[in-house]
This record gives sequence, C-alpha cells and structure tokens, in this order.
Amino acid sequence: MERTLSLQARRRQFLRSAGAAVVLVPLAEPALASDPASDLISATAAQVIDVVKTTTGAAREAAIRSVLQNRFDLPYMAQVALGAHWAKATPEQQARFVKATETAEARAYAERFGQYAGQTLTIGKTVARPNNVYVVDSRLNQSNGQPIKLEWEVRQGAQGLRITDVKVEGVSMVMTRRSDFNSYIQSNGGKVQPLIDELEARASR
Amino acid sequence: MIASVTRSVATGVRHSLAAMAVSAALLGGCASQDTGAAEVWDPIETPNRFIFSINRAIDIMAIRPIAVLYRDWVPEPAQKSVRNLLDNLGEPVTAINEVFQGDPSRAGVTLARFLVNSTLGLAGLFDVASMMGMERTKEDAGKTIGMWAGKGVEPENGGFYLMLPLRGPSNARDATGLMIDYAIDPFQILPIAFNWDWFYYSMPRYGLNVIDYRSRTMFALDDLEKNSVDYYAALRSAYTQNRADLIRAKREKTDTKSELDRRDNLALVR
Repeated sequence: MERTLSLQARRRQFLRSAGAAVVLVPLAEPALASDPASDLISATAAQVIDVVKTTTGAAREAAIRSVLQNRFDLPYMAQVALGAHWAKATPEQQARFVKATETAEARAYAERFGQYAGQTLTIGKTVARPNNVYVVDSRLNQSNGQPIKLEWEVRQGAQGLRITDVKVEGVSMVMTRRSDFNSYIQSNGGKVQPLIDELEARASR
Repeated sequence: MIASVTRSVATGVRHSLAAMAVSAALLGGCASQDTGAAEVWDPIETPNRFIFSINRAIDIMAIRPIAVLYRDWVPEPAQKSVRNLLDNLGEPVTAINEVFQGDPSRAGVTLARFLVNSTLGLAGLFDVASMMGMERTKEDAGKTIGMWAGKGVEPENGGFYLMLPLRGPSNARDATGLMIDYAIDPFQILPIAFNWDWFYYSMPRYGLNVIDYRSRTMFALDDLEKNSVDYYAALRSAYTQNRADLIRAKREKTDTKSELDRRDNLALVR
C-alpha cells in the first residue's frame, strides 16, 4: 500500500516536472531558431516528452519507434554500428539487420527516455562540420545531482536532417554498439548471421 | 610523528614517480597508427574476461542488491550527505592533481572548498561551498597522465585495457593513476601514520564509496547490459569513451576539434 502511494506520488511529481519541461523547451527555442540542427533536437525533445507523458508500455515503445523513424537515420546508424562487416553482409542480411536493430533501438530509447523524463533539456551551441554533420551540445538537467552531458550528431542526408548518434557523457551509443557487435561477430567465427539471429530472437521476446 | 608523515609522503611520491615512468613507457608503446576506428587495445582479454565474470558474480550476489536497497530505502537527503562526505574526503587528491595539471588557481578553489565544507559543512556532510559559488571538480591522476601524454596519444589510448578485481574497468593509464591517487591521498596516509583502526576508518569509507558509486551507476550499467550482445565489449567501449571524453575536456584549451576530426576519420574508414 505504502509502495503504491509512493509510486503515485512519484508519478505526480514526475508529471509536474514533465509539465515544467514542456514549458521550458519552447522557451529555449526562439534564441536558437535560426539553427536547423538544434531546432531538430528541440522538436524531438518536445515530441519525446509528449510521448513519455501520455503513453506507457508497448504503446510508448511504438510511439518512440515512430519518433526514431522520423527523426533518426536508423539505416545509417545500423550501417555504422556494423562497421567493416556491413560490406561483407548480403543485401538480405543487411535488411534484416537494419530491421532488428530498429526494434532494439526503439526498446532501448523508450526505456532511456522514460528514465530521463521529468528533466529538462538545455540546448547549447551547434558545431557545423564540413561533411554535412552538425554536433549539437546539450545538458540534461536532473532534479538531483549533476546535469548529464548529451551531444547529438545530426547529419544532412537524402531525407533531410536526421539524428545519427547520441553521446551521453562522451559515450556514443553507436560506437558502443559497434564495439559490442564487432566483438560478438569475432567470437562467432567472423560471421554476421549469428548476430542477426541473436538480435531477431531478442526483438521477438 | 611528523617525521613519519613526511616519510610516508616521500615514499608515496617516490612510488608515484616510478609508476609514472612505467605508465609513460606503456603508453609510448602503443601511440602510433590510431585512425580512430580501432578497437580498444585489449591484449589480456582472456584473463580480463575471467576477472569480469568473477566481478559480476560478486556484484549480482552482494553489491547490486545492497545498492538497490540503499537507493530505494535510504532517504535522499541522507544519500546526498553520504555523497558529500565522500566527495569531501576526495577533495585533497583533486587539489593535488589540479596542481600537477598546471591549474594551481583551481587547486586553490578546491582547497577552499575542502576547508569550508570540513568546517561550515559539518565535516563535509553539507556542500556549503557550492552554495557559495565554488563548483565541485573531480580530478584523478589517470586524467593528469592522460592530459600530459602528448599530442600523439589519443585520450582513447590509455595503454592496455585492464579489468581490476572488485573495481571494474580500467587500463594501464587509469590503474597507474589509481595507485598514485592512493599514495598522495592524505586520508590514506594519515590512518597509516597515526595507526588509526582500519576497521573503523578505511573500511567504512571504502564500503560506502562502493555502494554509493554502484547505486549511481545502476541505470547506466543495467541499460548497457540489457542492450548489448557482448556486455564485456560494450562496457570496455563505454568506459574508454567516457574517460577519453573527460581527458579531452582537460586538453580542450589547446586542442578543440580533435574528437570531431576523429569522427570524420571514422566515417572515411567505414
């Protein structure tokens, strides 16, 4: 009983602070309105806050998945994560791999964003790179403790500006996956198929 | 008494100089040919994985459950005070490292923080100094070595990767730094010099540090474990990137774009 009560209290607290976040994000926007990359990040953040506020469980995962599909360049992220093994895979393997990682990413980000909810995102400066890449600096302000450093890599691709990587405290999600996948492939005889099977098995769980 | 303190400090400095020389040799050995796409150098992967599996067993059986209880049952102000207390005990090491990083003014601020929090902050339980505008920094000798390792050595390159028993991921650079920090820490030297009881002083500090650190890394580590197919490799990568980011921030004054250049390099290699 006490547990439920405290959960409700936490939920209320969380909803209040989520409300504060919604207020804060538009406030941060006007100063940076000229910069399309940071606009993309603040629009994504607003959308994610909305999703986290209104949905739970499988519905949230589906909603986050559609956010990822619209704002992130998932095939590109999958390709980078597979590294040198991408070229060795058949087109059919590549397609299956992209699909499996999409489910994995949707699940991972649904949980991450759920945890980060109720906190505000302060968007900082954007660094433009010569190869159509922008790096957007931001801080996730926690209610308790130090702010978390988040960097977004935004790339100008065929479908326009898309997010291609998120770095949390200097740890790139794509690079970590790349290292992880590479090690798995190495320990399975250098073949991509066991990794795809594993990811598909996890996706169907 | 004072002579014995001086002697142990002198021994500490001698030890740390030796360790620094060893680490410089280790770091120098692997400085070339870094395209940015290379994996973390892990020549002793088999013993590392062995230690990792033991660490995980201990973590699952003892450390993680205690950390969960601590996080969920101990009131948040109490957790905060424990954190402040441990941070305050770590302040002298940070100050010494800041001197060696060539930033004596920041070291002065850290020392002021230590004095303010130790007195007004009731032996460090409250972070009064932050309210007075003196922000907290955390430095360690691993970062100091990484900062001075030279332009040719990427911060990602910390020598061979090392899984330390009970302590987790590290590498040649950071393990050396750990030894140096131990040798220069007044709160490690004093108990030895004055024969304080290990059971009442050093052990509670160590134990609280483990539980506090584990409870704060819970979400990140659970996330990493759940979303990886090879947890060991994912942790190795995440640790290396995080440390490199901290060291890069120290070097940044002279070398702003190196990480971004590295990413461009990576795109070319892919």
